[in-house]
Amino acid sequence: MTQTIRVDQLLRETVQGPYCDLVTRATGRAVRTSIQQRLSSRPGSLALIDFSEVGLVDFSCADEVIAKLLLDPLTETIIVLQGLREEQLEAIEHVLEHHDLAALVHDAASGVARMVGRVSPDLRTAFFTLQRTGPATVQTLAEQIGWAAERAEAALLALVRLRLARTGSEGFVVPLAPEPLSP
Amino acid sequence: MSRVVEVPASFDDRSFEQFAASFSAGPIADRMVFDARPAQWASPFGLVGMLTAGQAIREAGGPRPDFTVPAADEVRRYWARTGFFQHAAELFDLHGKVPRLKPDEQSDVLLDVTPVRASEDVHAVVGKIQAGAARILTHELGIDVKATMGFAMALSEACQNIVEHAGTGGWAAVHAYTFRRRLGRRVVVIAVSDAGVGFRRSLEVTQARRFGDRWGDGAALEAAVIQNVSRFRDPGRGQGIAGIKRYLGRWNGKLSIRSGTARIAIVPEWDDDVPMTEHLAAFPGAQLQIVIPAQESTGG
Repeated sequence: MTQTIRVDQLLRETVQGPYCDLVTRATGRAVRTSIQQRLSSRPGSLALIDFSEVGLVDFSCADEVIAKLLLDPLTETIIVLQGLREEQLEAIEHVLEHHDLAALVHDAASGVARMVGRVSPDLRTAFFTLQRTGPATVQTLAEQIGWAAERAEAALLALVRLRLARTGSEGFVVPLAPEPLSP
Repeated sequence: MSRVVEVPASFDDRSFEQFAASFSAGPIADRMVFDARPAQWASPFGLVGMLTAGQAIREAGGPRPDFTVPAADEVRRYWARTGFFQHAAELFDLHGKVPRLKPDEQSDVLLDVTPVRASEDVHAVVGKIQAGAARILTHELGIDVKATMGFAMALSEACQNIVEHAGTGGWAAVHAYTFRRRLGRRVVVIAVSDAGVGFRRSLEVTQARRFGDRWGDGAALEAAVIQNVSRFRDPGRGQGIAGIKRYLGRWNGKLSIRSGTARIAIVPEWDDDVPMTEHLAAFPGAQLQIVIPAQESTGG
């Protein structure tokens, strides 16, 4: 199940006043706590965190909201950020790199998710392959890319650990993937 | 008998040292008179610095100081437009004619002198700055309109240092002016100052042992500004100043922070400042300045 969480709404509930900017650690902590409460009260496999109506995102608040949400061991939901402007994304990427993290961002033009932050070439290759060809097991991914099974397994497990992919009945799958290409 | 604290005629981050030396020439319990009569000009750094001195006296329980306003009418009017007198009246007994003017939204004062005490104040500062900053940064400084966000972000992080570390309130102000002496171009200057514990005391528990005999105001600034260290053990901390430096690197800006008896600067090639100065006159809290120059092609 997918749920969309509008950050501007949480911000309005959190900050007294007509502000639309995601700034300060105190605000970030409050917004993150609200997101975590939503995720635990309505558990699902995917959450779209929507920044469309948010103004400025500063580094401290990005750290409190995004980095700490991705680092939260109690949250298993895959997080996809959407509605981000270039300048907002820049602050978020800075924070992700600081923590050696990666996140998924919904690309409005293509409709699919892309990875931002610190991502190794192997993870990038595995992610793109799953996105292009659909769900895969360790063996099928290894065959598609021409890797050893151990290398494919390490990449897939890292994608799951970073919550960039999940395991399903058909194998490993990435969120918001387009229909697989026909062979 | 009162002790006179001289306000420099041209009051910026450099002449601030003259002001700090005069302020710290005797105990804070002295009755003081801040003499601004000869003042001809003050940068936002000078204005928030004077309020910080007044705040430090009040918080130390010293006698309420006197403040003689500038003799020049145009200087008084400018200081009134910056909101300085409104806040100074809470800290000093003002002597002289103080004009009653509201801040002009179309002036070079992008952010009038604004108190920063809590997270909500940072929201207010960021909200106020964005429209004016876009106008000045893009039209006068030739900076990409998208960089307005980065500018507001730098201001937000600078103000948060007060909320997170100072242990008391402070002040922020942002002005645009022509930086004739050192640059010959238009600049936007962010000044943020507080009368709090300063960088050394803030970082002492976690960093003093690492620096050993070197520990002091200079080492604390080095840890915070160069090594991005924070007093918090949370690995996500320390990104505020790092983010400011990243923004300034892109737009050839300058960052300087003074705390206690030391001052550190990230110096672009257009300036001749020194990276670190120690053994300065003691001054309460921390004072941060960010200078963003007009980009070369605009001429400013």
